[in-house]
Order: sequence, then structure tokens, then C-alpha cells
Amino acid sequence: MTEKEKIALIEETLDLDEGTLTADTVLDDVDEYDSMAKLSLIVMMDDEFGKKLTGDVIKGFKTVGDILAVME
Amino acid sequence: MTEQEKIALIEETLDLDEGTLTADTVLDDVDEYDSMAKLSLIVMMDDEFGVKLTGDVIKGFKTVGDILAVMN
Amino acid sequence: MYNLVDLTDKKILVVGASSGIGKQTAVTLSRLGAKVILAARREDKLMETLALLEGEGHSVKRFDVQDTDGIEKVVNDIVAESGALDGMVYSAGLGTALPLQQTKPEKINQVFDVNFFGFIETVRQLCRRGRFNPGMRIVGISSVASIRGDKSKTAYSASKSAMDSAVRCIAREVADKGICINSVAPSMTATELYTHYLDKYGEDSETNKDLLKRQYLGIAETSDIANAVAFLLSPAARFITGITLPVDGGLTTC
Repeated sequence: MTEKEKIALIEETLDLDEGTLTADTVLDDVDEYDSMAKLSLIVMMDDEFGKKLTGDVIKGFKTVGDILAVME
Repeated sequence: MTEQEKIALIEETLDLDEGTLTADTVLDDVDEYDSMAKLSLIVMMDDEFGVKLTGDVIKGFKTVGDILAVMN
Repeated sequence: MYNLVDLTDKKILVVGASSGIGKQTAVTLSRLGAKVILAARREDKLMETLALLEGEGHSVKRFDVQDTDGIEKVVNDIVAESGALDGMVYSAGLGTALPLQQTKPEKINQVFDVNFFGFIETVRQLCRRGRFNPGMRIVGISSVASIRGDKSKTAYSASKSAMDSAVRCIAREVADKGICINSVAPSMTATELYTHYLDKYGEDSETNKDLLKRQYLGIAETSDIANAVAFLLSPAARFITGITLPVDGGLTTC
């Protein structure tokens, strides 16, 4: 999966318009990045990458790039 | 399906012991032949024979033989 | 004059609009000014409903709720053709009667596919960016069977309880998007189902007399249910979400 595809997947998971995010986007600046969005992210990561995100890992996410780093 | 197999299927549907019914058995004499039994018969007929029993047809059943006649 | 239930130009999808409560709901919504998108498995039956609608701008869409995986595409197509929606009514349902020994997993699945999974998937697809307008209202057609027990209704009742539970949960989750979701729980209504019921038991039967004793306002007309749905879709109901509204002629109160 390319970085672009991964970003598109994050956008879809957070129900954002395509092109809203870049790797540098700061998550605190994204209104939609709330507790439900984080839960959606956990489910998506498990489904698509077989990754179990813990609360600590999620808390460590500062930018979209941090999410991208674990998408493999 | 032989007549014997059909009778066994009716017995199973009405949750009766095997060998309880014959083609001549009068349905009014069968305690277990109540509204739920008739409903079970409707479902079984649809599943096994693709036959849709209407209320009128059911009311017309006097003996086990009458049921056998529509099992095909 | 002030109109409490004004739906002028509201785009409302009615799933299961080919018969019964869904059909009458579509007619009622059109009379209140809505642009109705009629959806069901059988297009020929939808054309019959379409002929009964008042006003212009209604449309018809083939929608097989049993094909859960296909719902995303149907919803996408509807939004592409009609724009974002203001409301959705889910009136697709199987009233299957199954004695316990016939209530096999595959039979339960058939009932749940239509009554529950189709509902959730339709709601899920609609509650996404660009597919709804602010203030969208969703109404599921549930049943008093959701809270009442009866012989042969295990699968059916459970599917309706599932719908009502889902409504409570989803209401909370979509509130931030400005969406309200509720269900309506009718008791026996004058549809084909009641005709079958009378055919089976007879009008003078103890079963029917007993029903009328409990459902003491009589048998509901489909318009009684449609009116309640219209209210929940209207701006007047903006403070109501997550509930199941009984429309049951008194049945569940005694």
C-alpha cells in the first residue's frame, strides 16, 4: 500500500473529505479526531493490518505521519 | 420420497413418536395437532416441497392422507 | 397557517415502499411536501406506489436489503442522483412466524438480514459525510413484538428488539452530526399481514377477539403509523432521539 493509499484509508476511517490530510497534519487540529474516530482507527488497524493499537500507542500519535508509521 | 418417509416427516414436524400416524389417522384425534403444529406444517411444506399452504387448504385437512396428498 | 409537520422539499428515502406501512408512509410524506425516493426489491410494485404520490420530484430505486454488500452502492447511487438526504424510513420487514423447532439458524438469518442487518447497513451508509443534510432524521419501523412475547415469534421479535437497541446506541453516536434516529412500534395494522391473520384465525375467532380486547382502539390503519413517522421526520421532533414510539392503540399499556 502506498503512503497516498494509507492516507486515503485514514481519511475514509475518519469520514473526512479526500485530500484533507497529509503526513504532516497535526491530529489536534483535526476536529473529527475524537474518541469515536480513535475507536474507528483501532478497528481499521486490526482489520486491515492485523495490528492491535493500545491506548498508549494512540496517545503517542501527534501527526498523521505517526499513524502511517504503524500501518504495515 | 416414499409414503413412509413422508409420514415420518409429518411425525417429526409434529414432534410425535415414530409410528404414531398412518394415512388413515384422523387429525382431530391427534392432540398435538394444534395451531403451532399447523404452522410447523406450513414451514415444512414450504422448505421441503416448495408448497405454500393457505389457511383454507389447512382447514380442509381431515386425515394424514390429506396432508400426504399435497406433499409432492 | 402554521404547519407542525412541514416536509416541503425534504428528500426522504423510504425503504420498503412497495406495500403496507412503507407504501402509506411514502404517500403521507408526499402530501406533506417531501420529495420521496421509493425503494424496494420489486420495481413494478414501486411504480404502483409512485402513481399514488402527490407533487413532483419523486423517484424509484430498486433496493434489495437482503443483499447487504450491495447497499453501499445503492445508497451511493441515490445520493448521486438526488443529493444528500434529509430523512430515511426503514420499512422493509419479514413477519415470519416460526415455531421454535423451525427456528433454525438459517431461518433466523433470513429474518435478521431483512429486519436488522439491512437496517443497520442502510443507516451506516447514510451517516457518512456528504450523504446526509444537517438535521437528517431516521425512522425504523419496529413492532410491539419488540417488547412482547408470542408463540412462533422468536426470530421476528428478536430482530425488532435488535432494531430498537441499535436505535438507542446509534442515536448517541450520530448526535454530533445533527442526526436523530428513532423507531416506531406498531401493533396489528390493516395490511396484508392482517388479512393473512384473519384468513388463518377468522374474524370471530377467540384469537382475534382477544387481540381486539387488548388493542382496545381497534386495528390500526397504515395512515396511523405513517402519521407518527411523519412527525418524527419533521422539525417539530428535533428534541426526540433514541426512542421507540409505540403506536399501538393501547396494546402495550395493559
